[in-house]
Amino acid sequence: MSRLEAKKPSICRREPLTGERAGASLAALRGLLTSCYGPAGRLKQLHNGRGGPVATTSHSAALLAGLSVSHPVLKVLTAAVRNHVACFSDGGLFTAILCCNLVENVQRLGLTPTTVIRLNKHLLSLCTRYLKSEVCACRIPVDFGSTQILLSLVRSILTSKPACMLIAKEIDHISTLILKAFLLTIPENAQEHIILGKSIIVPLKGQRVIDSAVLPGILIEVSEVQLMKILPIKKSDSFKVAVFCVSLSGDLSDTGEGTLLVSYGVSLENAALDQLFNLGKQLVSDHVDLVLCQKVIHPSLKQFLRTHQIIAVDRIGVSLMEPLSKVTGTQPIGSLGSISPSSYGTVKDLCIAKFGCKHFFHLIPNKATVCSLLLCNRNDTAWDELKLTCQTALHALQLTVKEPYVLLGGGCTETHLVAYIRHKTRNEPESVLRDERCSQTELQLITEAFCSALESLAGSLEHDGGEVLTDGKYGHFWSVQANLPSAVNWPDLPSRCGCGLYSSQEELSWSFLRSARHPFPPQTCLSHEAKGSANTLTLDCFTAKLSGLQVAVETASLILDLSCVIEDTN
Amino acid sequence: MAAAGSVTVALHVAEVLETIVSGCLGPEGRQVLCTKPTGEVLLSRDGGRLLKALHLEHPVARVMVACVSSHLRKTGDGAKTFIIFLCHLLRGLREITDKEKDYFIFENIQTCGRHWKNCCQWKFISQALLTFQTQILDYIMDHYLSRHFLSIFSSCSKERTLCRSSLEMLLGAYFCGRVGRNNHNLISQLMCDYVFKCTACESRFEEVLEIVDDCFVELKVGVTGLPVSDSRIIAGLVLQRDFSVYCPADGDIRIAIVTETIQPLFSVSGSEFILNSEAQFQTSQLWITERTKAIVKHLQSQNVKLLLSTVKQPDLVIYCAGLNGISVVECLSSEELSLIQRVIGLAPFTLPEASSQYELSHTALVEFCKPLILRSKRYVHLGLMSTCSFTPHCVVLCGPVQGLIEQHEDALHGAFKMLRQVFKDLDLNYVTQTSDQNCTSGPCIYENSRENNELPKIVNSSIQRSYQDTVVKSKGELAKTQTNLKVCSNLIVPGVKLEKNVLCSGPKVAVTDSYQTEETLRCSSPNKGTIMDDHEPYIESNSANSTTENTRREISYGNLQVTKLARKDSMLSLRYKSLEMHTSQSYYFSSIPAGCVLPVGGNFEILLHYYLLNYAKKCQQSEQTMVSRIIANALLGVPRILYKSKKGNYSFPQVYVRALQTLQTNQPMISNQTGLESVAGKYQLLTSVLQCLTNILTVDLVISIERQPQEICDQDSEEEL
Repeated sequence: MSRLEAKKPSICRREPLTGERAGASLAALRGLLTSCYGPAGRLKQLHNGRGGPVATTSHSAALLAGLSVSHPVLKVLTAAVRNHVACFSDGGLFTAILCCNLVENVQRLGLTPTTVIRLNKHLLSLCTRYLKSEVCACRIPVDFGSTQILLSLVRSILTSKPACMLIAKEIDHISTLILKAFLLTIPENAQEHIILGKSIIVPLKGQRVIDSAVLPGILIEVSEVQLMKILPIKKSDSFKVAVFCVSLSGDLSDTGEGTLLVSYGVSLENAALDQLFNLGKQLVSDHVDLVLCQKVIHPSLKQFLRTHQIIAVDRIGVSLMEPLSKVTGTQPIGSLGSISPSSYGTVKDLCIAKFGCKHFFHLIPNKATVCSLLLCNRNDTAWDELKLTCQTALHALQLTVKEPYVLLGGGCTETHLVAYIRHKTRNEPESVLRDERCSQTELQLITEAFCSALESLAGSLEHDGGEVLTDGKYGHFWSVQANLPSAVNWPDLPSRCGCGLYSSQEELSWSFLRSARHPFPPQTCLSHEAKGSANTLTLDCFTAKLSGLQVAVETASLILDLSCVIEDTN
Repeated sequence: MAAAGSVTVALHVAEVLETIVSGCLGPEGRQVLCTKPTGEVLLSRDGGRLLKALHLEHPVARVMVACVSSHLRKTGDGAKTFIIFLCHLLRGLREITDKEKDYFIFENIQTCGRHWKNCCQWKFISQALLTFQTQILDYIMDHYLSRHFLSIFSSCSKERTLCRSSLEMLLGAYFCGRVGRNNHNLISQLMCDYVFKCTACESRFEEVLEIVDDCFVELKVGVTGLPVSDSRIIAGLVLQRDFSVYCPADGDIRIAIVTETIQPLFSVSGSEFILNSEAQFQTSQLWITERTKAIVKHLQSQNVKLLLSTVKQPDLVIYCAGLNGISVVECLSSEELSLIQRVIGLAPFTLPEASSQYELSHTALVEFCKPLILRSKRYVHLGLMSTCSFTPHCVVLCGPVQGLIEQHEDALHGAFKMLRQVFKDLDLNYVTQTSDQNCTSGPCIYENSRENNELPKIVNSSIQRSYQDTVVKSKGELAKTQTNLKVCSNLIVPGVKLEKNVLCSGPKVAVTDSYQTEETLRCSSPNKGTIMDDHEPYIESNSANSTTENTRREISYGNLQVTKLARKDSMLSLRYKSLEMHTSQSYYFSSIPAGCVLPVGGNFEILLHYYLLNYAKKCQQSEQTMVSRIIANALLGVPRILYKSKKGNYSFPQVYVRALQTLQTNQPMISNQTGLESVAGKYQLLTSVLQCLTNILTVDLVISIERQPQEICDQDSEEEL
């Protein structure tokens, strides 16, 4: 019997952003996230007081999944960021910090939400239009003829996650592997629609990072006991494979809703087993070399197959079924009765490999877009972070194939955008003022809030107390060490900008970030020599960052628009 | 425990609700964040949803919420306005009763306790409200308000065709009040496109709206994590699941629907299957396999490339289908199935008893069938060939958080409900009875009904009071507007002021013209009202109508003096009386024609306010006068909130005065708003609020029961046992 209980009335709170509690919790969240941002970011250790593993991370997905926020406004923010990360894998911290900064900056101004939202939307569209336009100077088109840019992109993602605990040499190795794994998933004869394959990440903890490897095909882990039973593999140029998705354990299939009366002495188990043996005989007569089963194979059938020189591997699991059917080129078999010859697949080769202390059964396909990335790292928590990072990098590469551009990283895109927006709103405010029905002061205030949100986002890349500068020509990001002797002419010190595109040989007018400056038109249109010199650039995924920017501004508008919060306390 | 029900309590409750709800009203309204106990967050500006989320405990509040939700079920719009209007009505009632405390008290009740006296008084008021709602409101709507109605249809020809720009205006105004302000343009554009894309045949859009309203859940896909601007419409139907097996096919694609497993089972429910030997078991399994294969083979021979199943099919069926090049989608919900059946008119095919002799006629052609990937989740995308006027399209709604997507879904669904209401005729029926006649023939309660010549003073004073009320309420306004209002309260319109207003409306002359033409078109419709009594001379009533207008015009030209008006009024009622000589009562059946709209921004409220006051002036029955006045004043509550943030020329007192002036001089109303709203929706809202108020007023005692709610048993079924 169900128990009916009256619901408690909800708590209704007006103006949720003005309270001290909201301000404090927003600032706390912002502080937490900014300290994680970038290659020099600090790590966070998440641990549950009641047990379970301890995670050391600076990855937004892991961080926000572990945090439990209580303030409803922050719930909106974290939900938006987590959804963004689920979509694009990259740019979570960027989105979260920008959103926090925007809310805080605008909150301070005390303008009406209507104006704020309208102008923020306008500034956002200014940014997105610029980033999508041809004249944009912080966007580089990807040349698929060389691996240079893609490798830089992967390396930038790896370096931005310090919790992976990689040294420079390992970063090089892993980024090559990731790029290799990605290239293996691209089909050879590309038609109109490219369907990318899959790279499966296989865990191998406790090994050196350098031992990581990429192999074409599928690795199926087998235990040592199973391995003893597997016969030595004979040499051949192709192997016939039968992949089953039904259980071969001899259990009775669904018998319907009615009752099944079995007379005394009739053994259904025997009958089912007979059926399995018939199946086995058919497999033998069809010269199948390998039987793979998603579920369990009956031991007698296994024995039978072994005596007929057929290798049987069971308990593959549902997650490997899809890549398996890709590798073998068939649909899984769902019948115990007669099997049509067309449902057998083939693999080019199979072998048994040992990596570390684990044994794997390796299926090498003829030409399939499936590969396995064996990932090693020293300990569990570093491995988890590395796995997340690899997935992020692979996803970023996929997104880059869809939209073949990358953005300059290392804070340069942000500072460049700031220079662009400042210049635009200062010099051409008429159209805005007419369309958005606001005053000049309001526009200036909101622009300043928006720009300083982006600037402090870029500035939070610097964690070691250094100074952040920006130049008056490109509007890029330059950081200098802290505590310089005053005698040194400090503007000469930065050697390269954040993204690594420009060096400081030219005559640039330096100024501090976040200091009052005269707006200047940043140089648009990337020069060709700049594109050519792209050797070790810091790059960001274009699609993820653009969407992150949009999501951040939209979420900030949403939060600023809240007039009241109704909390259900049941 | 029992608590007395009273207006004061109800007013307190309504005022609390009003503070929450008024923050979300109108284009300047803001969002409310609701958190659920599960940790989910929901953004909303939907009044109904907010009221539900509050989980109110107070009995009066629960009555209100119940009334609101029943209103929403009917119309899908107006929950916030409901609360605000109700609150203002209660406020007005309390003011009136504070002033005229002993007005309704009768001698025989005076012996009872004070509370019961009050209750009796409320009962009278609620009865008056009910008579107002059933008789006067319809009369005023039909006689006065209908001349201001605009139509959403593009022409006045018989064939109703949707006009895109007016639909855009209607939807724009609707979404202004429903979704966040940076998204409402996008969403209303999306909705407008959707309606036109789905409508295959222009004139049968109502059918489309019905299908979309019924099956909206199946026609939208929510995608979290993307910016809202990525929302779009895609052609075809999207099923929110993946293929169980997908075989790419092109050319002639036929689909079939099954509602049971294709593979025969050993036994169906209620039957027994007796196994006598192992061989029997094996043969029956063999038979099952063979039969499954045969059915799938047959499907293939019929060129079926896609099988939709409402149940989970066994592995064998999936395998066989894959071998035969048939894609399978399993576990369709019954709603999805019914939508597909409505669109393509395809019945599920029944499995034949014997495998050889059957003709499979239940298949249909589809344009395409392919997987669709949205944010790395796979869906089935079907291009159905519609056999009805609805061309299937799906809305993909994107947003950073699930709560926002849900808000947009709700708003879109509500908009379809609202559109359906707009395109329905709304019946009005009322009895024409002049107030004089009511006094003499109706059951008269107040014997001390005043003499005719006494009336002008009362009306005059009441009008002045009502105007002064507005002055009091807008205390915070500038002194200048106050003086303006006072000038108006004397009902002498300064000529200078008028001229200035004309100058102000100079640039909008073009707009006015178009409205005027539309208005003339519309004006023909009210005459459609049919008259039941045979001997009622139709022309005569019409002429009476026109005389009303004439007198009104005279009044307005003659820079109205209240006494003058009253004299005309009594003349008018005399004329009515002479009409009534022939027929004692005449029943009118009229309607608000489908597609009637008014510009947004409190236009309906101000118009109705004006005509109700006019009516109250004419009406000699004091209770009706009072009720009309209370309602007329309460109506202004909504526009007052709408114009709260506006300043200068667009502030509420300015707009109000201007509107009254144009009405008095019989000029067409000019609106600076671009949106439109449905008249029928507003009318229904008004009736719902009045019903709710009657409900609240008639309760004298609230008894709380400390028991588990019991299930309501059907008496008849028990007797049968």
